[in-house]
Amino acid sequence: MLELHSVTRRFGANRAVDNVSLAIEPGSFVGVIGRSGAGKSTLLRMINRLLDPTEGSIRWNGRDVTQLKGAELRAWRMRCAMVFQQFNIVGRLDVLTNVLMGRLNHMSEPRSLLKMWRAEDKAIAISALDQFDMTALAGQRAESLSGGQQQRVAICRALVQEPDIILADEPIASLDPRNTRLVMDALLRLNRHFGITIVCNLHDLDIAKDYCGRLVGMAQGRVVFDGAPDSLTEAAARELYGLEADEAMTMIPASQPITGLQHAAAAA
Amino acid sequence: MSHATIRLPDHQIELLSAGYRRELAQRRRMALVGFVILMLAVLLSGFVAEVRPGVLFENIGKFTSYFGRIFYLDTGALVFTDIGEWFWGFWKWGKQLIDTLLIAYLGTLFGAIFAFLICFSAAINLTPQAGIRFAARRYLEFCRTVPEIVFALIFVVAFGLGPVPGVLAIMIHTIGALGKLFAEVVENIDMKPVEGIVASGGTRWQSIRYGVLPQVLPNFASYALLRFEINVRGASVMGFVGAGGIGQDLIEAIRKFYYSDVSAILLMIIATVMVIDIATERLRHRLITMEQGR
Amino acid sequence: MIPPRDLFPDRAAVSARHPAIMAGSRRAQIIGWALVALLVALTVLSLSRLEFSFARLGSGLVQLGTFLGLMIPPSPGAQLATFSKALAETVAIAFLGTLLAAILSFPIGFLAARNVMTNRVVQFMTRRFSDSIRGVDTLIWALIWINVVGLGPFAGVLAIMTSDIGSFSKLYSEAIESVDRKPSEGVISTGGSSLHAVRFGIIPAVLPVLISQTLYYFESNTRSATIIGIVGAGGIGLHLAEMIRTFEWDRVAFIILMVLATVALIDFVSSRLRLALVGQRTTPV
Ligand SMILES: Nc1ncnc2c1ncn2[C@@H]1O[C@H](COP(=O)(O)OP(=O)(O)O)[C@@H](O)[C@H]1O
Ligand SMILES: [Mg+2]
Repeated sequence: MLELHSVTRRFGANRAVDNVSLAIEPGSFVGVIGRSGAGKSTLLRMINRLLDPTEGSIRWNGRDVTQLKGAELRAWRMRCAMVFQQFNIVGRLDVLTNVLMGRLNHMSEPRSLLKMWRAEDKAIAISALDQFDMTALAGQRAESLSGGQQQRVAICRALVQEPDIILADEPIASLDPRNTRLVMDALLRLNRHFGITIVCNLHDLDIAKDYCGRLVGMAQGRVVFDGAPDSLTEAAARELYGLEADEAMTMIPASQPITGLQHAAAAA
Repeated sequence: MSHATIRLPDHQIELLSAGYRRELAQRRRMALVGFVILMLAVLLSGFVAEVRPGVLFENIGKFTSYFGRIFYLDTGALVFTDIGEWFWGFWKWGKQLIDTLLIAYLGTLFGAIFAFLICFSAAINLTPQAGIRFAARRYLEFCRTVPEIVFALIFVVAFGLGPVPGVLAIMIHTIGALGKLFAEVVENIDMKPVEGIVASGGTRWQSIRYGVLPQVLPNFASYALLRFEINVRGASVMGFVGAGGIGQDLIEAIRKFYYSDVSAILLMIIATVMVIDIATERLRHRLITMEQGR
Repeated sequence: MIPPRDLFPDRAAVSARHPAIMAGSRRAQIIGWALVALLVALTVLSLSRLEFSFARLGSGLVQLGTFLGLMIPPSPGAQLATFSKALAETVAIAFLGTLLAAILSFPIGFLAARNVMTNRVVQFMTRRFSDSIRGVDTLIWALIWINVVGLGPFAGVLAIMTSDIGSFSKLYSEAIESVDRKPSEGVISTGGSSLHAVRFGIIPAVLPVLISQTLYYFESNTRSATIIGIVGAGGIGLHLAEMIRTFEWDRVAFIILMVLATVALIDFVSSRLRLALVGQRTTPV
């Protein structure tokens, strides 16, 4: 269980995340929604400790992770893998090496620096690629791949960390609609198959409603909505997105089943 | 003859050109002030540096005659008439040139290794701690600013005569010069891959090895090669202060007026530096095209 | 709690299906290790040829430690005035040497630039000429000029000037070659001669670059000027060498600090001037 207790992060006078408290159940698929600048990225980055909270604490199974340092901090980062909007893989390395980056914390440092991978780690990396039908790309330079392929490489890297949580920061914002589905389906599969908790920042309300079991809405650093996708009313969405609300809610592609919205409309 | 251009009325031209002149005059005034300051500086430093153009003009003949003289053998014959006599010390000097190259090689290699280890601490994107960064930068600055021959002078006293102090002196200077360039390269990388590895639980050196290195290695290699070329030239004078290499024989030849030896050694040094220059240039070019090709 | 799970149950089978990926690229590995082996072998060879030994390094470091101890606190003794005068001389040498070199290199740069000098033979000869000059270190030039004008700072000025002509000719010609061709084409198209094209099409564009590069060299020449005194060509170097030879370590440290401060000051001044004249930071590499 991941718990945030009154977490605040300030940049100068700006409260990017403001007094957020959340509890995230193991195995859940949580979508964090809100307009750009609401503090979603800051929230996720604090969980992985790429950023430190100014106030408050983050607990994993009762243990405070905000105080971790050194090897313990790295072990925690390994448990909560990150997936980024811009993929953050190393373009000049080949795909297999990029996936092996997720195993760095599982091997001795000198060994890893000399690139002396163990057969076990390689086997794990290859079978992660195999799960996404990407073994054929193993030897290619990562920067030569399409955006969707690069994001799936990043998800493979997250997977070989054998994480308990995957924190995905707008993983589909740089992708076309087909790749959007592929990437979200990949995350969903990890969630269903392996029970990995997914916390996913999303810009797109419809995707969020399609995939997430729970939505957390943020505005100006605060949590302004927390509940099942069905219970997100139009009024709540309006508060979340402000003037962008109409845009966010009419971006629904006609071909998709509009489950969430129909419920919301029925409730209204 | 008719002109297609319409000529403006004279008073308008007058008005416009007055404005143009005003602007020009202002620029001229600024240039004049700058020129006067420059001239004052020239006069002052000419006085301090005891510049005596008279001496130069009186003796400029010596400069050309010096270059004339170094191309004559003791026998009075032109050097080209007896290459064997001119390059009588070819093997001796050749060995010393090889030593010179090895001094430059070791100095560049060890300097580059230490510069590599330090440069990440001097780069703001990998070392946000101001204290560490300040220390690393000041250290590099110190290594870079003190000329290598000064280090050589001190090291000759500490380590004894020979190539050892020469290597160490070049190494220290190389640490400073390359460390700064390396740090600048590192500061210009894309940080996203590094962040990705840190977020997976990678250590500092793991994220440098896999996130930073692939991005900077071609540039690092290119700068190190460039430095090697500079260091070969630097190593050629290490012998002046007793720190090994060809410089020892060169300064002796110049001081004792062994004219033809001076030209022979200088030609060997120039040829070596040119070969190294061309070779490193080729390699650097290959590195760059390889980088863009992939 | 999440039950213990195996995320990769079929990894043995999958890796068996992809032996090539498991083996990795042998060729890249072999090339990498061969390169490392070559470097290591060359290094070991050089170290032994140049008579490196742990004993020598160890005793040298101990010596160096004692010197360092004696350097503190740095002090000029009774020679502050002498040192200051010598330092002023050093700066003057660097300034005059750089200025003279810049003036003389300006035409040479054009002669060596491919886009201006259409005569290939002249262009090639000029390039080789400047390459030869650069192949000879400043200290050597100082020794040669001492033969002409005698010991003293004037020889230093000429030495700095000569060795900088080599560097400036190359830098200037490269800057001229990389200049935008459109302005000179414009001048030519209005009926101007090729000299007009140089005067109005090229010089305005390259002048700021050349000035900036020259100012950049002023700082590095100050460093060179501190050492030419070692062979008797004026400046602080003479005193520095003297103090090292007589083991006056506190004075050595003081002189080095003076040099560091002066170079920092000149760096500051020249980068301010660059900024004022050129409007932006352009550093030649
Ligand atoms: N490194 C930073 N420095 C200063 N301000 C930041 C930084 N990162 C984010 N912010 C600010 O924090 C707020 C939240 O940003 P972010 O978490 O990126 O929002 P979101 O991901 O929801 O778009 C924004 O106002 C942003 O300008
Ligand atoms: Mg964001």
